[in-house]
Amino acid sequence: MNFRGRHIISIADFSREEILHILQLAGELERRPRPDLLAGRLMATLFFEPSTRTRLSFEAAMHKLGGRVIGFSDPGSSSARKGESLADTIRMVDQYADVVVMRHPRCGSARLASEVSRVPVLNGGDGANQHPTQTFLDLYTIAKDFPQLVAGGPALTVGFAGDLKYGRTVHSLVAALGHFRVDLVLAAPRGLELPEHYIDEARQAGLKVTQVATLQEAVERCDVLYMTRLQEERFPDPLEFDHVKASYRLTATMLAGARQSMKVLHPLPRVNEIAQDVDATVHARYFDQAGNGVPVRQALLGLVLGAL
Amino acid sequence: MTDPITASNSRVRQVEAIANGTVIDHIPADATLRVAALVSGTDDQIFIGNNLRSTRIGRKGVVKISARELGQRQLAGLALLAPSASVSIIRDYAVVEKVPVPVPERFDGIARCANPNCVTNHEKWTTRFLVVCRNPLAVRCWFCERTFDTGELTLI
Repeated sequence: MNFRGRHIISIADFSREEILHILQLAGELERRPRPDLLAGRLMATLFFEPSTRTRLSFEAAMHKLGGRVIGFSDPGSSSARKGESLADTIRMVDQYADVVVMRHPRCGSARLASEVSRVPVLNGGDGANQHPTQTFLDLYTIAKDFPQLVAGGPALTVGFAGDLKYGRTVHSLVAALGHFRVDLVLAAPRGLELPEHYIDEARQAGLKVTQVATLQEAVERCDVLYMTRLQEERFPDPLEFDHVKASYRLTATMLAGARQSMKVLHPLPRVNEIAQDVDATVHARYFDQAGNGVPVRQALLGLVLGAL
Repeated sequence: MTDPITASNSRVRQVEAIANGTVIDHIPADATLRVAALVSGTDDQIFIGNNLRSTRIGRKGVVKISARELGQRQLAGLALLAPSASVSIIRDYAVVEKVPVPVPERFDGIARCANPNCVTNHEKWTTRFLVVCRNPLAVRCWFCERTFDTGELTLI
């Protein structure tokens, strides 16, 4: 399996075998660090919109492999502000760096960048469209607790709760889970349900999909519960937002009815949707999940630079 | 009074015959004027009929262009606007060739993406759509990955 020079743009570009290969290498890098793997290599981080986790974990990944990092995290300091086209910015940066990591507010910007870049482009989020490295780390996190996801075995029940309509991390993960034996449980407020075509595609991929009315019901049925943030701007009526916010807030008390092995994931940042008393429970996995971004991004950087 | 729609059953031709050129038939009625705008140049002689009765699609449009055949770009645009239409080549008042609109695997630089946040609406870059379903025709933007019915797209 040769990833050298490959761009990482969309989870839809990857087969099940390729996903498994990436997860396996991430596991190896976590167990056995390779501090010199990318010595002498340079990664450019082009963050046209702010990000904390994605940028820091890419940078941590590169440093831990012995590579170096250049870039900007404030679009105001980039030449895009002077009117430079995205294509020209990429053509300039690929003269400096061996690999480019990019986040941009426009959908499809990473794909456009990949069409002009001479070096691999890794998509760190393009508008509401894709965030493939988040999906890889979500899968890695699930597989660490539930090896049957990748090794085969009884179907795993993965629940999604909150804003399932607009969350790109949910859409990408649902699509990627289509490669595995999974049952989906969906709990969303009215108007923020998972769009029909994602449900259809999941069913076509062989996943059993169940929609439930409350967060509590999802908690009791799942092996993994993937929580998302509710955004006030999605609600025309502030009173309705307050009501929904309260009913989609996970608390430690609600976890009394959960399976002992159940894990709660969240792409972060969380605001109110997971109460702080959940953090100390055996179910909380969201900070480990953020940490898993490092080995996963190490694996991707090593692969596209031809070092793994 | 004669119903203009039922009159299509008569032998009277509702749209002027052309000696040489191209006839686009079976255009969905709501797309006829857009098809006419797509295929006609400033100096072309064109004839348009719309809301004619069709046993296949209910109400249809017909566009006839004298003395000219369609170029690749116009055929691609036609595939997006009216994929179920037919295209006939006319020579000396006779149909010498009649084919369905050829629908390519992808459309480059033919239509604008309907997603206002798609990068192709903000950078000077050639749009690209890949066909994801042929009947009814649906395409996916290569860049923002959104899927559209062809009626949602505007031609460039």
